[in-house]
Amino acid sequence: MTVTKQGRAGERRRLTPGEVVVMAVLAILVLAVSFPVLYALLNSFRGYADITKDPMGLPTSIDFGNYVTLFQTTEYGEALLNTLIITAGTLVILMALVPMAAYGIERVGGRTGRWIYLLFIAGLMIPFQVRMIPLVTSMNEIGLYSTLPSVMLVHFGGSAAFGVLLYCSFIKSVPREIEEAANMDGAGRLRTFWSIVFPMLLPVTSAFVIIQALGLWNDFFIPLVFLDASSAGTINVALSRMSGLMASQWELIYTGAIVATVPSVILFAAFQRYFIKGMSIGAVKG
Amino acid sequence: MTDQQVLVKALPAEPPPIARPAAGRRPRFDRQRIAMLLFIAPAALLYALMMIVPSLQSIQLSLTNWDGISPTFQYVGLRNYEDILTADRFWNAVKNTLILGLGSALIVNVIALAVAMMLDKLHHAQGFFRTIVYLPALVSGFIAATIWKYVLNYNFGAVNSTLKSLGLDAQTRDWLGDHDIVIGVLLFIICFTLGGNTTLIYLANLQSVPQELVEAARIDGASRAQVFRYVTWPMLAGAVTVNMTLMMIAGWTIFDQIMVLTLGGPGFVSETMAFFIYKVGFGEYRAGYGSAAAVVLFVVVMATTVIANRYMRSREIQA
Repeated sequence: MTVTKQGRAGERRRLTPGEVVVMAVLAILVLAVSFPVLYALLNSFRGYADITKDPMGLPTSIDFGNYVTLFQTTEYGEALLNTLIITAGTLVILMALVPMAAYGIERVGGRTGRWIYLLFIAGLMIPFQVRMIPLVTSMNEIGLYSTLPSVMLVHFGGSAAFGVLLYCSFIKSVPREIEEAANMDGAGRLRTFWSIVFPMLLPVTSAFVIIQALGLWNDFFIPLVFLDASSAGTINVALSRMSGLMASQWELIYTGAIVATVPSVILFAAFQRYFIKGMSIGAVKG
Repeated sequence: MTDQQVLVKALPAEPPPIARPAAGRRPRFDRQRIAMLLFIAPAALLYALMMIVPSLQSIQLSLTNWDGISPTFQYVGLRNYEDILTADRFWNAVKNTLILGLGSALIVNVIALAVAMMLDKLHHAQGFFRTIVYLPALVSGFIAATIWKYVLNYNFGAVNSTLKSLGLDAQTRDWLGDHDIVIGVLLFIICFTLGGNTTLIYLANLQSVPQELVEAARIDGASRAQVFRYVTWPMLAGAVTVNMTLMMIAGWTIFDQIMVLTLGGPGFVSETMAFFIYKVGFGEYRAGYGSAAAVVLFVVVMATTVIANRYMRSREIQA
């Protein structure tokens, strides 16, 4: 790769051969790594007999029959809805509580603020497995086991730690004077926070919401533990059950995998800028 | 898991937000302070109930012989810990966790850095390539593993069928059922990525390497390899710390792939620590024993985070 030999200044306009090579290599790598999804996509248009007889064959037509069957004969539609409710519900709880708490921690400050902060941050080092068994017992006792709220609440525990971390580091740079002025104008503290401070936190909020949305959507372990057969589960839980029970319906598994992935791609396409910014916010500082 | 990203911010180990010591005034329990504590209260309460309390309960349970369903149990002291630390099955899970967790951390970081460096070389359509490189990361580990499970199926899977049609019948394997290769196959599947977030973090850091530095080194006659070794690499120290730690923490809790692909089998051959805890706690009705394993996992994760940070931080300072 002899790309930047002459330094960067004059290179802006001309495409060097080295760059073309790099582009080609990257394109090949992306295609290679996308193999499982592309394979599932192609096979979601084929029938079971075709898939097993000729696993590397191509679909003869773009037939959405499997997609229709998936939603008509399984609980996948309900699982999709559950996943959406869990993702959105958890985000609402997080948004309602975490920015406010982080603001409180920063403004209380001193030793108290610091201890509360550390307590939240400690959660980052506690794997879910550590709190799993007692949580199942407690959820059972209060009658929430195998309900969507149980999954949201358990998710909140892990996500709040990350949220406090992200918001606290940002709130430090928000000037106090503005709030004080608003307070003097007679606005209550709660109103000052939601109408003045919270909008200023938008950069963190967008990064936080997107990272969390993707993580919540893709999560498997927490809903697996907290949703039993009385619930349709989330998309991942439903797929896991399907691949256990319906060992013979490969075409539906591939179709389900594609359906589960599409929302992530849409989310990414819509908020790409925030994605990349969000990933870089915390990273560059090192 | 979202917890991974968490540490991106956690690691810089910034001093916790010490409030400005309000201009000499001692903090009093004035109305402002009470209001702020009330702001914290709902989140803190819910967080305590979902995180702190169950974690402490786990420690308590780890000292009992509870099965997870009976109304009663006895305290058995440290016996669960003794049992765990002398069980071959547990140490096998530890070994697998090390191979898969540490192995994938290393491999994925190398892949991600290589991809980021290629992206960094592009002066045209860099944004486009950054996007398509990120796309595969949108497929969750669970979904990818589910697809692989069928692709690797012994009788009808694409891999074995392709090998047969190429006349390589001898190369067909029971990829997920052969205890000699199953860990290798799992490692391959976990590492079958372009890094996603890891790549973005490296790219952001590469782009913050001052170009003058690179050019000065080149003018002084440094080779490309030397520029990388003595200029770029030291500048990446922070990103390496963040990425390695993130991947290791995620590695300690590898679960989805095992659950989907092998269920820990054949036998117990491919169990990881996270899967072991799940299996023992819920599948074998040994909640006390599972809790003890969970506490061990916590200690390991905490130790890794602290040690990895300290070691890599010292490297940064030298650099």
